[in-house]
Amino acid sequence: MPDTGQDRPTLGDSLAARGISRRSLLKYAGYLAGLMALPPMASRAMAEALAGAGRQSVIWLSFQECTGCVESLTRSFSPTIEDMIFNLISLDYSETLMAASGTAAEEARLAAMEANKGKFILVVDGSVSTRDDGIYSTNAGKTNLAVLKETAAEAAAVISVGTCAAFGGIPAARPNPTGAVPVSEIVTDKPVVNISGCPPIPDAIAGTIAYFITFGKLPELDHLNRPRAFFGDSIHDRCYRRPYYDKGLFAKSFDDEGARNGWCLYEVGCKGPVTYNACATLKWNGGVSFPIQSGHGCLGCSEPGFWDQGGFYKPLSASVMGNNAVLGGAAAAGLVAGAASVAMARRRRAAAMAAASKPGETK
Amino acid sequence: MAHDAGTGAALTGMVDSLMQEVARALTALAETGTRAAIDLRSLPLTPADRDQLAARLGRGEVAATLDVGGRTEVWETAYAGVWWQRHLGAGDHVAGETLEITPLPDILQSHADDIAAAALRLARDLHDTKETADA
Ligand code: SF4
Repeated sequence: MPDTGQDRPTLGDSLAARGISRRSLLKYAGYLAGLMALPPMASRAMAEALAGAGRQSVIWLSFQECTGCVESLTRSFSPTIEDMIFNLISLDYSETLMAASGTAAEEARLAAMEANKGKFILVVDGSVSTRDDGIYSTNAGKTNLAVLKETAAEAAAVISVGTCAAFGGIPAARPNPTGAVPVSEIVTDKPVVNISGCPPIPDAIAGTIAYFITFGKLPELDHLNRPRAFFGDSIHDRCYRRPYYDKGLFAKSFDDEGARNGWCLYEVGCKGPVTYNACATLKWNGGVSFPIQSGHGCLGCSEPGFWDQGGFYKPLSASVMGNNAVLGGAAAAGLVAGAASVAMARRRRAAAMAAASKPGETK
Repeated sequence: MAHDAGTGAALTGMVDSLMQEVARALTALAETGTRAAIDLRSLPLTPADRDQLAARLGRGEVAATLDVGGRTEVWETAYAGVWWQRHLGAGDHVAGETLEITPLPDILQSHADDIAAAALRLARDLHDTKETADA
């Protein structure tokens, strides 16, 4: 269990003080267990662990970003179970959300770092400018690069929220004028978890923080350091249009009969087969929908370099493999050829990514 | 809605195996008191499967609605000891759904800490009332 501040009351105490019953914790623990594929019987023990923990100190730094990631986490209709994360953490510094400004705000960050040395979670959204020592993105007279190094040095762990922090994202897209890099290229001596997505799914952000508070460790991660619970399946694996893909039934344009019938969007550019995220199951806006359900292909926003993959409206085989003919065959032949084309696309993409210069380098 | 075509309205047969799992868990509860829970959201149940499960488990004597960080609905099925628990999140979408095989779901019980806090609060309220009356 992370010790999150000697003089902080336990979560159970602080909830009780605000008239929030332990049932809320139990419900939240059940919700988390479901999200993170933990045994459902674990929720009682998780609720007890949470009640005994201190509120987790979180310092949130925003660099080259659009604030969509913060919006994703904070935009919900209270009071809901999803909001509980704000009862579990002490958000000690967030330029976007805090009331303080100027010198007082900067002092708050330093004070929180001092009070929770080695124990706080550092959340970063946005990529880090490195060109010319990072002068293209500064705040309070300091470069993002310097603030990141200074703050991460005292953190227990770093969570890169959003594709910009995780993989460089749009600021690192060609020609990458600021020399933008992901947080993991700067912070190499601390655990860095990537919650990618543009923006990321709020449950993935909250679930990862709550898991850390409950178990005192980070959840299981994939090869890109993303929590497997949320990034273990591809969009394509869980897509409700998959039966059409398997039958070779594809929309050819956004207003044809196939589109109206809800057929597979592969040929109009869907990147679902090579994109790992939980949009197809957790969905967006309180579980209302996700892009494919709303009629648009997946952009692949939770994957490295998604902006430079050759076009959102080109089929995977064309955008990644540069060979439309292969796709045509795959689409016509349905499942077997389709699966082969996806596998080839994945391999090709991996090779292309490896061959391409790193996100931080100007192309 | 056309987009929802193919979301899986058909029965998959999964309910048969799920009912077997519930039966095994309920036997264990009856014989050894071992509690269990099954996360329904983690199973690829189609809407038709879900309706079939609800029909086969039926409704029992108890149903409760809780206002806890959004709505939660809990009801005992026609099989005593098998409870259906549904947590609703933002926009009333289902944030968690489990079958609880237990004499009483935890969420229906008052937690010891809440009871202790309530006892203190009640004593304080009575004390305040008395002081007001004495004044
Ligand atoms: S290609 Fe896209 S729309 Fe088609 S099944 Fe896969 S994820 Fe769904």
